[in-house]
Amino acid sequence: MEKNYHVCTGCGLLCDDIEVESEKNIINKVYTACRVGVAHMKEGKEEAIFRVDNKPVNEETAISEAASILKNAKNPLIFGLGTSTSETHKLAIELARKTNATLDDTSSFCLGSLVEALIHNKIKTCTLDDVRNKADVIIFWGADPSDSHPRHLSKYSYFPRGSEKQRGWEEERTAIAIDIRKSHTAKICGNYFFQIPPGGDTEFIDALIAGLSGKLPKTSYNYPPKKILELANILKGAKFGIVFAGLGLIYSLENLEPLFRLMKALNEKANFHLVPMVGHYNMRGFNENLFAETGYVNSVKFENDIVKHGPEYSIVESLKAKTVDAALIIGSDPLSSLPRSIAKNLFEIPVISMDPCETLTSRNAKVYINTAISGVEAGGTATRMDGTKVSFKPVVETNHPSDEAILKKIMEAL
Amino acid sequence: MDFGSFLTVPEIKVKVVTYRDIFQDKAMIENRFGEEYRDRSAVIKLDPADLKQLSVKKGDTVILKNSFGRVVVRAEESGYETSHRGIAYMPNSPWSNILVSDETGGTGVPKFKDISVTVTSAKGEKVTEPGF
Ligand code: SF4
Repeated sequence: MEKNYHVCTGCGLLCDDIEVESEKNIINKVYTACRVGVAHMKEGKEEAIFRVDNKPVNEETAISEAASILKNAKNPLIFGLGTSTSETHKLAIELARKTNATLDDTSSFCLGSLVEALIHNKIKTCTLDDVRNKADVIIFWGADPSDSHPRHLSKYSYFPRGSEKQRGWEEERTAIAIDIRKSHTAKICGNYFFQIPPGGDTEFIDALIAGLSGKLPKTSYNYPPKKILELANILKGAKFGIVFAGLGLIYSLENLEPLFRLMKALNEKANFHLVPMVGHYNMRGFNENLFAETGYVNSVKFENDIVKHGPEYSIVESLKAKTVDAALIIGSDPLSSLPRSIAKNLFEIPVISMDPCETLTSRNAKVYINTAISGVEAGGTATRMDGTKVSFKPVVETNHPSDEAILKKIMEAL
Repeated sequence: MDFGSFLTVPEIKVKVVTYRDIFQDKAMIENRFGEEYRDRSAVIKLDPADLKQLSVKKGDTVILKNSFGRVVVRAEESGYETSHRGIAYMPNSPWSNILVSDETGGTGVPKFKDISVTVTSAKGEKVTEPGF
């Protein structure tokens, strides 16, 4: 019997082995996905909703209102897109060009700098399939995939029997967690959990580098040198090592230099790769797509034919400085995910929210367009957290317009 | 000496470490305005000794306050075997984001993982609603 597998767009892992049972375009059962994936696949609502000023309107009215907001703005902000397809990204970039917009995504305040370093080949990387097949030493640093990417350990990083790792985790893999908190992933790592104090990552990196070259590893928080030396010894013996870098690590570093130092030191003694723990299913794709168009991964401002770039064009700084005068938010909920002290400035400008679900942002938007769930109700392509391209077809049909279709219409209406 | 005991309402300072939780994420996807999401998000997990100092029982509400905001959430015991007085854990959510500083040093990156608050008993006050 031929099976029909679907892709789950519930997180950056983009699992491609999902089976569903559906009837009349409603998904009733989801197999193989994790708890988050199942909830995501079943998210679909019945009716399409369009609102202006919190009153229901038809699609045409919502589009024309959205277009007029963008037209009247001098510097609109276009933000989000981490849960949109790469096809949608290209349209959003074109729209930003046309409207002289500031364009940014969540990567400007999470893993964008790391993805940029990978695009510039500053760090050796590999695919998740390589990890499954070959990895013998796996480090989760400031990352807790058991909660953020629930099938990470079972599908790729620890439990599977890979082609060159037939004896599996019991004999052939060592999983290590370095974190400020004993996360679920840290529990799996057992004795290889290294708990450091908040903000202690840079020092731990340098102590580890000292340990790798046989020097006495020192930290101001007196981490037992013996434990660091033990860790250094395990890392030195790695034939195929991998560092999964999470937000916990990145937020603790002032810049990426310590991480570059560590990867260099690791690769002098062993063979180490790094993959960022990208959360949204196509954030990495957005970084790549914007880079291909502009040479930057996020935080850009289009002005006639030039592209400016810098932190002042990130969502956070442009809201803080109140330099943007309207916002088109695609598949994101900054009113929930940004510090309230910054997000509240969104109340001062007209906001267009395109989202498959009701959020604080959608409820407070001037225009709300309830879009199809990308990956469940609309197809396209995306980049997995490890850089692998994945394409997918819609699992069910819907009367919700895709964000791609809406952007096209807004562009026509401009 | 236990300084808190001289005040009418004991108050402690804690550093809040935020994290993600799969059950909370699932509840968010199902309904961001639902009870389950609120129950799983509006929580702070404290060291049992800190709870005791606050004269707060697990499940009671507490007020978290700093110069950026004020929020009422439920207090729980962390369940970690090693003591971590002065450090508390909160799932990342609109509730924790009320307490995040707007200082970024121009980098575009808020200090999501660097939150300091004072904690006091909320004396039965209800958990903060997620809206604005
Ligand atoms: S791990 Fe991520 S991609 Fe895989 S099923 Fe769960 S949510 Fe979906």
